[in-house]
Amino acid sequence: MPSATTTATDPPAVVYDARGLTKEFDGGQVAALRGVDLTVREGEFVAIIGPSGCGKSTLLQMLGALDRPSSGTLTFRGRSLPGLADAAAYRARDIGFVFQAFHLLPTFTVLENVQIPMFEGDLPRSQRRARAAELLESVGLSHRLRHFPSQLSGGERQRVAIARSLANRPGVLLADEPTGNLDSANADQVLDLILRLHRELRMTLVLVTHDLGIAKRATRIIRMKDGRVVDGPATPTPTPATP
Amino acid sequence: MTFLSMVARNLLRRPVRTGLTLLGISIGIAAVVALVGMSRGYEKSIVKQLDAIGIDLVVSNMSGGIMPKVYDASLEEKIAPLPNVAQTTSVLMQMMSIEDAPMMMVSGRAWGGFTWEKLRVIDGRLPADGNERAVVLGTLAAEVLKKKVGDTVQIETEELPVVGIVDGQAVVENGAIILSLPILQELTLNEGKVNFIDIRVTPGTTEAQMAALSARVKEIFPEGRAMVADEVVGTSQGYRIMRAMSWSTSLLAIIVGVLGVMNTMLMTVFERTHEIGVLLAVGWKKSRIMRMVLLESAMLGLLGGIVGVALGALGLMILKRTPTLRGLLEPDLGLPLLLTSVGIALVVGIISGLYPGWRSSRLSPSLALHG
Ligand SMILES: Nc1ncnc2c1ncn2[C@@H]1O[C@H](COP(=O)(O)OP(=O)(O)OP(=O)(O)O)[C@@H](O)[C@H]1O
Ligand SMILES: [Mg+2]
Repeated sequence: MPSATTTATDPPAVVYDARGLTKEFDGGQVAALRGVDLTVREGEFVAIIGPSGCGKSTLLQMLGALDRPSSGTLTFRGRSLPGLADAAAYRARDIGFVFQAFHLLPTFTVLENVQIPMFEGDLPRSQRRARAAELLESVGLSHRLRHFPSQLSGGERQRVAIARSLANRPGVLLADEPTGNLDSANADQVLDLILRLHRELRMTLVLVTHDLGIAKRATRIIRMKDGRVVDGPATPTPTPATP
Repeated sequence: MTFLSMVARNLLRRPVRTGLTLLGISIGIAAVVALVGMSRGYEKSIVKQLDAIGIDLVVSNMSGGIMPKVYDASLEEKIAPLPNVAQTTSVLMQMMSIEDAPMMMVSGRAWGGFTWEKLRVIDGRLPADGNERAVVLGTLAAEVLKKKVGDTVQIETEELPVVGIVDGQAVVENGAIILSLPILQELTLNEGKVNFIDIRVTPGTTEAQMAALSARVKEIFPEGRAMVADEVVGTSQGYRIMRAMSWSTSLLAIIVGVLGVMNTMLMTVFERTHEIGVLLAVGWKKSRIMRMVLLESAMLGLLGGIVGVALGALGLMILKRTPTLRGLLEPDLGLPLLLTSVGIALVVGIISGLYPGWRSSRLSPSLALHG
């Protein structure tokens, strides 16, 4: 609700806030993150770029609560993420995660793969199926429901993975090089789909990429190097989404 | 797709491994069914036999081997005058190899005793008196020995004519060769010896009087005991060995079953580490992962149990018809035994899934990003 005394519009709510985030592996031998400060606001499209091994995937894993930071603070809508009692519920309902390598389950059909996260929701069986079909239609795969992942092209697989990530209607999409394994035609299709989610569903988007062309379409680019954010203000002034 | 159908699908992924695991549990459960069914059948047929003959108490010294030890026949004269004793009769029972049959029950019975009364003559006749050197065959014994009235049966050194075929109304009776007591005593060099004294009590005898009677018998015959019908079975050495064997073999089969299923489930969990990481990454709770593994393992157990019960029952039917065991075995395959066996298999499945399930629930979702 806009306040009467504010002249400018309030900045959108903070979704993620990281302060001095570090992550070490192998008992401190590998420092993947060395003190990351980062703020992501509602409705932003943040692109994370940087050389291989600089910690992009590690940071995204922290945001997705797939792993716990070694030190520092990280909050999601004000609640500490590593401190969440039910991280599974957060992963199931608050975010969708899209991987470079798709990670679909090979023994289940496209329609079944999309239903898998819904077991943690409260939809009855028939509605799970209907919702999965609907999601697959929205990514243009209505004609592939009964196929197995191995029968699909890379682009189609990634679209299934995106449909799966939307299963429980999350507000945030985390994508780790979603087009990294795709040829340019398929990459464009998948990127268009992700941008559409951002535009039409107003989803907050954090996307790791190597592709500067993709990064340029983001609201904001975050550059990383050696486990740190090297430029881009931690709390930027909001800029309108690139059309 | 339901959670259950998802789990079932996982089982079908490795049909050969699932099949072999199922075979493993089934064989274990089949062994349980066959052994327990056999020892229960044995128990039931002896009780039935004692009932059929109308025996209330049996005096014997069970400390022997498969058959009770022999003792002096004069004991009967001391037991007959005891209170509540209506009738007594002596029996010498021996397990012997007769012609081609390795194990036959040969029963020598005091002439005129009530154990002769219940025998229904199917063909021929009973011996004319206690001195006739002849035998009658139970129906099953006749079949096993392939003998009919007019043939002879060799017992130890003597060829005895078969004068009749009888129905004794119990499998143990029907499987026996029956003859007059003194003749068997003579042939087996047990002159003056018996190993059973069967007692019929007076009508209306109370349990307390029965117990008092047992106590009196104990005084007269300290090495032996007077037991009621089902006790005879419970304390017989043969039955005790059989029961101990069937239980220990069953236990072994169950342990092997648990190890087999656990091994399969552990392999499955290791093989699907990455996939479990993906499930965790899309929001599955650890408890659901654990449930998935447990359910899969329980399904293996249940299926194995059903197949195993079928195999065990089939095996017993075949065993029952083999020449060696014919007449000695009347397996008891009641529904409770079959259900219990399936239940055991299900429990085996669940127990086997606990450790793999626990292992799988400790995996990290970040595994999804690697490998
Ligand atoms: N599980 C792990 N165990 C040990 N080291 C790890 C682990 N995960 C990442 N690292 C190390 O942490 C550093 C950062 O890795 P990360 O995957 O975040 O890089 P990245 O920026 O995503 O690289 P790329 O662009 O190649 O995907 C690397 O040096 C990597 O080897
Ligand atoms: Mg990476």
